[in-house]
Amino acid sequence: MSGFLELAISGLMSGLVIGLAALALTLVFGVARFANAATGDFMTIGAYAAVFGFTATGSIVIGGLLGLFIGAVSGVISYFLVFRVLEGRPSVSALLASIGVGFIIRSVLGVIYGHGQQVFQLPLVRPWRYFDVRIQPNDLKIGATALLALLVVFLVLHATPIGRRMRAVADDPMLARVSGIAPRKVMFALWAMSGAVAALAGVLLGIRTVIWPEMGWEMLIPVFAAAVLGGIGHPVGAVLAGVILGVVQEIATPYVGFTYKLALAFIILLVVLLVRPKGLFGRVEGVR
Amino acid sequence: MDAYLIAIAIITAIYVLMALGLNLQYGLTGLVNFGVVGFFCVGAYTTAILSQKGVPQYITFPLAALLAMAFAWPLGLVSIRLREDYFAIVSLGFSEVVRLVATSEGWLTQGVQGIPGIPKMFGTFSGTTQALAVLGLLVVFNLVAIAAMLRIVRSPFGRMIEAIRDNEEAVKALGKDPAGFKIQVLVLGSALTGLAGAAYAHYIGFISPEQFIPLITFQIWMAIIMGGVGRISGALVGAIILMVFLEGSRFLRDVMPFISEVAMASVRLGVVGLALVLFTMYRPQGLMGDFTRK
Amino acid sequence: MSLAIQGLTKAYGGLHVVSDVRFEVPKGALVGVIGPNGAGKSTLFSLITGFLAADAGDVAFEGRSLGRASPMERARSGMVRTFQVPREFSHLTVRENLMAAAPGQAGERLIDAFFRFGTVKAQEKEIAAKVEETIAFLRLAKVADVPAGRLSGGQKKLVELGRALMTGARMILLDEPFAGVNPVLIEELSVRIRELNERGIGFLIIEHDLPALNKLVSTLHVMDRGELIASGTPAEVLANPRVRDAYLGGAAA
Repeated sequence: MSGFLELAISGLMSGLVIGLAALALTLVFGVARFANAATGDFMTIGAYAAVFGFTATGSIVIGGLLGLFIGAVSGVISYFLVFRVLEGRPSVSALLASIGVGFIIRSVLGVIYGHGQQVFQLPLVRPWRYFDVRIQPNDLKIGATALLALLVVFLVLHATPIGRRMRAVADDPMLARVSGIAPRKVMFALWAMSGAVAALAGVLLGIRTVIWPEMGWEMLIPVFAAAVLGGIGHPVGAVLAGVILGVVQEIATPYVGFTYKLALAFIILLVVLLVRPKGLFGRVEGVR
Repeated sequence: MDAYLIAIAIITAIYVLMALGLNLQYGLTGLVNFGVVGFFCVGAYTTAILSQKGVPQYITFPLAALLAMAFAWPLGLVSIRLREDYFAIVSLGFSEVVRLVATSEGWLTQGVQGIPGIPKMFGTFSGTTQALAVLGLLVVFNLVAIAAMLRIVRSPFGRMIEAIRDNEEAVKALGKDPAGFKIQVLVLGSALTGLAGAAYAHYIGFISPEQFIPLITFQIWMAIIMGGVGRISGALVGAIILMVFLEGSRFLRDVMPFISEVAMASVRLGVVGLALVLFTMYRPQGLMGDFTRK
Repeated sequence: MSLAIQGLTKAYGGLHVVSDVRFEVPKGALVGVIGPNGAGKSTLFSLITGFLAADAGDVAFEGRSLGRASPMERARSGMVRTFQVPREFSHLTVRENLMAAAPGQAGERLIDAFFRFGTVKAQEKEIAAKVEETIAFLRLAKVADVPAGRLSGGQKKLVELGRALMTGARMILLDEPFAGVNPVLIEELSVRIRELNERGIGFLIIEHDLPALNKLVSTLHVMDRGELIASGTPAEVLANPRVRDAYLGGAAA
């Protein structure tokens, strides 16, 4: 039983990471209407930037903030250079370009850092024990950070003018276009937020595991599965679905084996598409 | 030098076969298949595993194509009716899961160690004769594939898939179901890719999971986008461009040995990425100019 | 009764885009639907043709309830729509656009395209003959071999109408056929529609261009904010104060 609980807690943590990244993906999807395949690579950028900041200053907080900042900047740059130009073209163009953007990011990171693994050299802390369940203090901090970040994102979405405009565009792009609501400012804010949220997911993933150029790309399928399960374009759904996916993956590990985690996410994706393609919280998409 | 050129031609011919498959899927029908390497992998492993058991190649080749088709069909059934980007990601996931299975199921695939000693094609010959025979067979494959493409393009089926690429909703409004056409196209294109995988396995003689990474998929994408989407000649032109790029980067490392193989791999990745981005943005019609049919 | 719209309703969030709309289109009739922007006309079309799923209500075509039938099934039953923004097959020529629309083509099956060449060829010839007729009727002969993407807006609307004719539809739903079309072509298009109607094809037309529509249709329905607010002959409807208020008032604002 305690082993099960430990797996569930571990699943909750990796679920929050997936959920954050799925939030980044779903935010862009809701407004820009394409699946940004470079979402995972924004995670990787965040993790590398955080390691850099951490190594330079010794502070994980400064490192993390640097990761967020660089993630936001990367999001804005990729929008400015690529996705802005592709607005109004078929969504396939943006999707294909996002694959290319991801390749470029991995290429740059690979040239600078090589393909070796890096880790956050955090001091080892003895796990706490509650009854029979071991809890890593780091996990608690990761969980708290993720929740704090989610709080900030939802505050921005629901309590600021720019967030309301983002949601208006996501609800009805046609209406928003007609009323001229989607000017550059909303898009810049959106990409900055998506980049920062993805980067945070990358930082947290980096703290829990190791950092290497492919770390984010390898998360793309689970992240996409979570975004679809949550109802694509639905921020709360993405986070909840991410947590569900993370927990399911972790609990299933003793049965299906560590290597088939990705396959499990893929199967869940297929099942969702078969049974309920609009996801848990999504609306049916009509004809545009 | 001759041997080198023949080897290059053989690999190019394998790429052409894959590019023809993707061109049918994306170029003609608008189907975004990001899982090309998955079908390639299925083809390669099918023939490698069967050959180990002593099954002759004239049986394993068709089976490689058939198995690739057998994977494509259910995948299409599940996701092709949904948004096009859903199918793209699902097919990408499929190719990753295929690689995962090849890595994990050692009893079948010998895992990360890979399958060595896959018998060569035309093993009774040797040297240049054998290489030329292989090349000849691949040229025949390609000619048959091109003839089939031309037949399709000029048929009512071809007219309908191009209509689907141009406007799927309008096709539905006429009472025709785009999904049925798209699934057939996916299955047929995958057969070519599976066949290419089989040829690759027998030509290289050794396969392992790390040869089947998504980069391969997007190299083929780069090829058809640069060569000209929707044109059969585009597959040929694109495959040649791809080959020049791959061999060129190898040559570059030969003359500049201070660049590590790892760094070069990263550079190659970056070039593929850059090509995808720039061509999508500025020259979606390919290097050769305007998007015209046939 | 050819087409019966029975209480169609569609809401997004709390907003009723179409609410409880019901009217009938008699066999072989020429019926128009007008209303200000955002009145829900295009949504109504999508509900009738199955491109959107209705929250409530049903559509019956020639006495058969369509329930949850797909757009494809609805089109095959003989009721075909066009689109507000033309959806031509841009890389196909006008001729090919029309050929593609013909139903029941053996050559659209991959196996037959490869192995039953004779059958396919004979059928193609038959379809081509019908396409020639349609092209001549729509006065598209000059552009028959031009990729449809290069045509003017009005010509694209003609191509869409041509495709609908090629399906053998008995009821054609035109979504703003006159929008963005020059006055000469509007007149031309009106004449064609009337001719087709005389041959027994029913039309349901959404339109913004009132004068053109008034001359064409026998019955007019008016929508405002998702609701049907008036029905009758064009003269009756335009005299209705509620319509003047909703429609003309809205247009003046």
